Amino acid sequence: MLTTQLLYGLAACFIVALGLRTALLHASLLHRVIAINVMGAGVFMLLIAVAYRGPGQQPDPLPHALVLTGIVVAVSATALALALARRLAAEHDDD
Amino acid sequence: MTDAIIWVVALPLAGALAALLLPRLATAVAVGTAVATSVSAAALLRGVATQGVLHYELGGWSAGLGIALRADGLSAMLLMMTALVVLAASIYTSAYITAPAERARFWPLWLLLWTALNALLLSGDLFNLYVTLELLGLSAVALAAFGGKRAAVAAALRYLLVGLLGSMMFLAGVSLIYAGYGTLDMAQLAHMVTAGPTAWTALALMTAGLLLKTALFPLHFWLPPAHASAPAPVSAVLSALVVKAAFYLVLRLWLHVFADVVTPAAANLLGALGAAAVLWGSWQALQAERLKLLAAYSTVAQLGYLFMFFPLLQALPSVTARDVAAGGLVMLALTHGFAKAGLFLAIGIIQQRSGHDSIQQLDGTAQRLPATTFSIALAGVALIGLPPSGAFLGKWQLLAGAVATGQWVWVVVTAIGSLLAMAYIFRVIGHAFGHQSYPNLPVTVAREEWPALLLAAVAVLGLGLAGAPVWQLLEIRV
Amino acid sequence: MNSTSLLVFDVLLLVSILSLAWASLATRDARNSVILFMAFGLVLAVAWSRLMAPDVALAEAAIGSGLSGALLLAAVYRSRGQQPAAQQQSTGEHNTSAATVAARWAVTLLSAAVAGVLAWALLHASGSAPHDTLPLAIAANLDASGVSNPVTAVLLNFRAYDTLLELAVLLTAVLGIFALGPAAAGYRPAGPVFAGLTRWLVPLLILAAGYLLWAGAHAPGGAFQAGATLAAAGVVLRLAGRQHIGLPAGGTLRVLIAAGAGVFLTVGLVLFMTGRPFLGYPTAWAGTLILLIESAAMLAIAATLVLAFVGGRPQAAGTPAHTAGAKPVPGNPGKE
Repeated sequence: MLTTQLLYGLAACFIVALGLRTALLHASLLHRVIAINVMGAGVFMLLIAVAYRGPGQQPDPLPHALVLTGIVVAVSATALALALARRLAAEHDDD
Repeated sequence: MTDAIIWVVALPLAGALAALLLPRLATAVAVGTAVATSVSAAALLRGVATQGVLHYELGGWSAGLGIALRADGLSAMLLMMTALVVLAASIYTSAYITAPAERARFWPLWLLLWTALNALLLSGDLFNLYVTLELLGLSAVALAAFGGKRAAVAAALRYLLVGLLGSMMFLAGVSLIYAGYGTLDMAQLAHMVTAGPTAWTALALMTAGLLLKTALFPLHFWLPPAHASAPAPVSAVLSALVVKAAFYLVLRLWLHVFADVVTPAAANLLGALGAAAVLWGSWQALQAERLKLLAAYSTVAQLGYLFMFFPLLQALPSVTARDVAAGGLVMLALTHGFAKAGLFLAIGIIQQRSGHDSIQQLDGTAQRLPATTFSIALAGVALIGLPPSGAFLGKWQLLAGAVATGQWVWVVVTAIGSLLAMAYIFRVIGHAFGHQSYPNLPVTVAREEWPALLLAAVAVLGLGLAGAPVWQLLEIRV
Repeated sequence: MNSTSLLVFDVLLLVSILSLAWASLATRDARNSVILFMAFGLVLAVAWSRLMAPDVALAEAAIGSGLSGALLLAAVYRSRGQQPAAQQQSTGEHNTSAATVAARWAVTLLSAAVAGVLAWALLHASGSAPHDTLPLAIAANLDASGVSNPVTAVLLNFRAYDTLLELAVLLTAVLGIFALGPAAAGYRPAGPVFAGLTRWLVPLLILAAGYLLWAGAHAPGGAFQAGATLAAAGVVLRLAGRQHIGLPAGGTLRVLIAAGAGVFLTVGLVLFMTGRPFLGYPTAWAGTLILLIESAAMLAIAATLVLAFVGGRPQAAGTPAHTAGAKPVPGNPGKE
């Protein structure tokens, strides 16, 4: 395995752990949403590190496509989560 | 017919888009799509029964480069159950939700949920499964929050966050698999996967993510509020189908893709969690004050039974015995799907007529809504597992397998669970048959009562008496 | 660039990424957290470029950092309008009771364990030679796919079904947002500096979007990046307090958001019903069909992302642009 892949792969695991910890612990919704996005970024880094083949060679395009899909899915979910939170806050004010 | 494999996914999606673009005709479009999709599902089932496993390579690209769809006995049966439940619930909803603006917003989301379910059941590619899981999760959350009541929105938000966490873990597992084996196609992986750190970790991650989505104890905390606060048809589909889809994936991964990797210890862990789910869920259902909460906890418990099959499937010595047990598992899953959907629809009728679903105040329900009460009773029979329901056959296999492998603990848990189920069902029936001196006779809407009744009847009579094909179909496997 | 300096660059890059992630999650102030998250996304985009994933870098910068950041920031400001600033500090890590501290340590250990196991599995997975079956198959079939950018080929041809479902995911999210309620009133009209900026920024963004769409066939780019850039134009217009943010009303809007999945599904079904595999483009037509699908997808993605930012069912034309005193105005330059 290339050193670069190793480096980014290990960093990716660390990022996943960071996101996971905050997602499980934090009370604020916003932080949890950000944490889940950070977790996602970690998994994406894992995929892209796996796809990398070295400075001279073309990388494997399949994980790139997967990550692109993942980014769009993540933003959709974030948007829905924030809209739900907004509705919840509005209800709270009406009570 | 292999064509049906495409129609079963394309029709609900097309219907969703059509319902979106034609809001005034949304209900008609939706019910029409439901009928058409059910016909396709039946065609698919017949195709699998006559031709064996159906493969379809999307875009014409070979599996691995492209995405393959596969239908075997298990997925075809679950697809058929999905179609019948959604069809019944759609007819129910056509009378349950009446405001035009609400209908225009509801149907596209409903049909997108169905698209996700069908796509998930047929997918043969791990990353495609991730996308279908996300589609399923988002549409389920949007529907659970439909109506905008505070309790529903809060529960839906928690459901969404938990679901996202689960999806991320699933994706991490999928990434590991690609890193280790270079393909995402499940059929190829079934041949390639060998025991080792990659496979163990990937399976653990994917299973953890799916357990969150299938609400196995102790990761079940999000389910009761979400299913209890959602609109009745949504609760029906969530409990009967959505959590079942995640369970189906656990089954698929453990029995087919990672079959060589699974260890007895891991299977026992799943079984133990299942047992805890049965006991905890049944106990909470007994104490529930609201019908919908009772039904939601019952779902937690019933899913536990499904997981108790795993240690049996690991331990049973012969392939024949395993196949018979697996048939019991599927029978239990199918019966629960129909019964729970019928139960939630019936509860919805009561809630609409009385304005509440409190169990203590059910007096007179049997007098006012006899058909609905009968539906609840039938569904209850299936949930307890009394003959002739399909659940009886399923639990029988569970007990037989447990006795055969000497794992008596599952027998004990099943017995206690069934007793508790009897208790909480009879509690509801008892209150419903309470006598009210001057019951006001409500207007009953046939479109609401018939679906609930038919679903419950299928669970009790259809699957129980005509259940042999389940075992035959299961033999057609990927 | 020799390998040592590249290694140093990598280490520095990863250190900044990890620090930004940590800082974003550790800081209690909501707004700082979001801004650090946006910075995290941008540095991540640099990392993707470094790892030779320019398509992903574009998408990360535009969607992962830009649009997600805009969504989060709008949420922060919206809740600021509803709560006094003092309550903005999250109560995340204040509690020091023994049980909570124990729970915190347990979760930290769990996360560390997950990271460790993941790293162990990754090391084991990559111990063998890299699996090249699929990359080679992609390269071999690239000519038949109709485009020369391999990522676009995977997204729009080999694994087009994934992209179809992904467009359905976007649609579901926006329909869910619609079902939750009408959009908030917009922002106040912008001051002269921002309005002037808008006047030339928006056309540039539209041009860039068109270029990205066209370039996606042979260079980094594509429907998603183009759609996000177009959405950025819409977000800028909304922030500038404009009433018309480029979205049509009523039925036309529904057509727009349905267009992505709709065109994709129609192409697939037409091919299916004429005897070809579902989404199996004939080689001669592949490039054209992909461009057609990508154009529709770009418009749908842009509309969906702008609507996600707007946060609800769009107001009918003619309703007032804002309600007095309802919300703060992040659009005003020079403040904060």
